[in-house]
Amino acid sequence: MQAQTRARESLEEVSDLTLAFGRLLMEAGASARHVEVIAKTVALGLGAERVDMGIGDCSLVVTISRGYEAITRIRQVGPVGVNERLHGALTAAAERIERSELTLTQARNDLTTTLRDCSRHADWLIILAVGVACASFGRLMGTGWRGVGPILLGAGLVQIARRWLASRNANPFISATTAAFLGSTLCGFGARWVGSHTAATDVIACVLVLVPGVPLFNAQCDILEGRPSVGSARGVWAAVMLLFMTIGVWLALELMGGAG
Amino acid sequence: MDPLLLLHNTLCGGLAAGGFGVLFNVGYRGLPWCVVSGALAVALRTIALGEGLRLEAASFAAALLLGTSVQLLPSSIGLSRNALHVTGCIPMIPGGFTAKAILGLFAVTAHTPHICNETLVTALENLLHVVFTIGALGTGLAIPIVLLRADSRKASQPEFR
Repeated sequence: MQAQTRARESLEEVSDLTLAFGRLLMEAGASARHVEVIAKTVALGLGAERVDMGIGDCSLVVTISRGYEAITRIRQVGPVGVNERLHGALTAAAERIERSELTLTQARNDLTTTLRDCSRHADWLIILAVGVACASFGRLMGTGWRGVGPILLGAGLVQIARRWLASRNANPFISATTAAFLGSTLCGFGARWVGSHTAATDVIACVLVLVPGVPLFNAQCDILEGRPSVGSARGVWAAVMLLFMTIGVWLALELMGGAG
Repeated sequence: MDPLLLLHNTLCGGLAAGGFGVLFNVGYRGLPWCVVSGALAVALRTIALGEGLRLEAASFAAALLLGTSVQLLPSSIGLSRNALHVTGCIPMIPGGFTAKAILGLFAVTAHTPHICNETLVTALENLLHVVFTIGALGTGLAIPIVLLRADSRKASQPEFR
């Protein structure tokens, strides 16, 4: 009886850790296939004999079995973003577990350390990078050189507004509209002030940071790899995000007197 | 093909991909690879457009070549292949067309019926560009991933019904 309880506890711990890896990978922007591969690697590396996994857009389900014991657990997935450093660290940790370099306790400690050490770049660097990226996008879209400065500033404001709203757990769609409106307004008035002849394109270029590129790619990837439900959900999420982003731009254009 | 345009687009593609690399929290070691992937993708697309290909076909060709190059890279570069695919293709996502398409649809409601038709056609044209270009990018990336996947670990095979 005691041995049975210990085995069950152990399966509980394995399923907990498996779902923790899966959840963090989902939140870091991994495709459904990658989430499944890594979660299964973790569970099998920690002694499970069979792992079955269900991946939804906002939850994960796993059934882990060993001998006659089996356990099923579900875990909610939080807001999805993109974090390549965390993604890489989790993949590396799973590989170490697969090579039996980590026990369950060590793997749990390793995960805690990874989460603690996996910091983001400095805010000023991200704001600058986003500004430069959007200005480059603008040039690729055919904006004039005079529009580069306003796009850089507008995109920077979009990023600041988005980070601030995210820190307050605001709804991501409303955040997108608000950030797009603020950024487009600043960019639009700035473009007029410097005499840019491509103001209508400038205001669009400065919000391109809000285009959900990773969810769009993941949606296609998931559908192509035989997971149409999670792929469709991600596709719809991305489409709605695009719509809300555009509403922000539209409001800014209306405020500017229909520059578009 | 104007070499200055090619240089300009290559630089802008690299900067855009590098900027998104920072946003996606790619480590400093991986950032140069993001810049290279974006520059390569946009350069290939510019060359293809210069050869007279349509935007969708040029995007497909660029994504296919980028995807193939990324799959052939060693895994020791310190960055996942998926991240390189995404950052490389991000400068080719038709975000501008998307915004113009939706703004065009908004504008349809504000115009007289005569102008409305022209606005609607332009908006639909932009929307179709978006759908086909994103489809072309996804397919172009997926082909080398499926054919040349270096990851030997397999998820359970999906069942198609």
